[in-house]
Amino acid sequence: MKRWSSLVVGWIVFCFLTGCATHRTKRDLIVLLPDPDGKVGAITVTTNADSQIIDKPGYGIVVEDPNKAPAAPKPIHENEIKEVFGQALSAQPDLSNRFLLFILYFENDTTKLTPESKALLSEVLKNIKSRKSNEVYIVGHTDLVGREAYNIDLSSKRAKHVRDWLISNSITPGALFVSYYGKSRPLVSTKDEVPEPRNRRVEVIVR
Amino acid sequence: MKRVCLKIVGISKAIVFLLVSTVAVVSPAYASTSVAIVKTVSGSAAIVRQGQTIPATHGLEVWESDMLRTGRNGSIGILFNDDTLLSMGPGSVLVIDEFVFAPKQGKFSIVIKMVKGTAAYLSGLISKLSPDSTYIKTPTASIGIRGTKFVIKVEGE
Repeated sequence: MKRWSSLVVGWIVFCFLTGCATHRTKRDLIVLLPDPDGKVGAITVTTNADSQIIDKPGYGIVVEDPNKAPAAPKPIHENEIKEVFGQALSAQPDLSNRFLLFILYFENDTTKLTPESKALLSEVLKNIKSRKSNEVYIVGHTDLVGREAYNIDLSSKRAKHVRDWLISNSITPGALFVSYYGKSRPLVSTKDEVPEPRNRRVEVIVR
Repeated sequence: MKRVCLKIVGISKAIVFLLVSTVAVVSPAYASTSVAIVKTVSGSAAIVRQGQTIPATHGLEVWESDMLRTGRNGSIGILFNDDTLLSMGPGSVLVIDEFVFAPKQGKFSIVIKMVKGTAAYLSGLISKLSPDSTYIKTPTASIGIRGTKFVIKVEGE
């Protein structure tokens, strides 16, 4: 009799440990964290059924079934993040000052920098020189007012304006990489035709 | 005699050339270049390239299509050419499916297949220059990354 009961107990323990009949599904867990500079980006989690966006730091999504829509993001406790991801996070190479990002803003529908951004451009120049950088990316954008072709042209002119200014201040053209995207990559998402000063910009990345 | 020697040298040169060009034709896919560098390693971690396992060491190059794996107590951190940081905790496996950082051609792309384990990711220049071209694929989902830091755990098999 005793042997039987110990068998039953053993069976229960075994089931508890392995999950027996209730096959435990495999899960993915994705958690958004703040960047080292405090900014927060966004990630989109897409399954065969649907997608969800995480844009708050410390929020995560659990995905169990590729054929079901991912659940809405929920806050993940700091301790859980530490416990699960501690080793991956501490293996992250430490690289302060990987690159510098400057955002220069323009007056509406022009290649004229705002007064603050004009001052910032001198700062950009100083940094290129002090870093002896030979990799500077100049990326032009516009807000969402107007036709696409027009804005591509405007964003290109804005980027070239910054490029020409840097060249006239003795930066070698070979170090400058220009690209432009018109209205397709706003910094602040707005509906089409909405004026937004924060989207009229050139991003300068100094490596 | 000298002339004969020259002739033989010429022929062997031709043979070597033939051999080399055959090899080049047979394995065109492996003209790979470095896309990242190993920056941190602890415990056991390795790169699997064309079926060969290379123990990970500080400074080791990572190529496109490489598989990275860590042992039970291992972890590894790599730095991509565009300053994207990727690190893995213990018992993890992932594959660098695609990495393109060609600013001159305006071509940017990162596709990483996460098979199992844990990883931490911090976006680099590619996400700034081309925000919609970075993906991590897991067995259940595809994750699009817009300039940010995040962690991921995949239970896999």
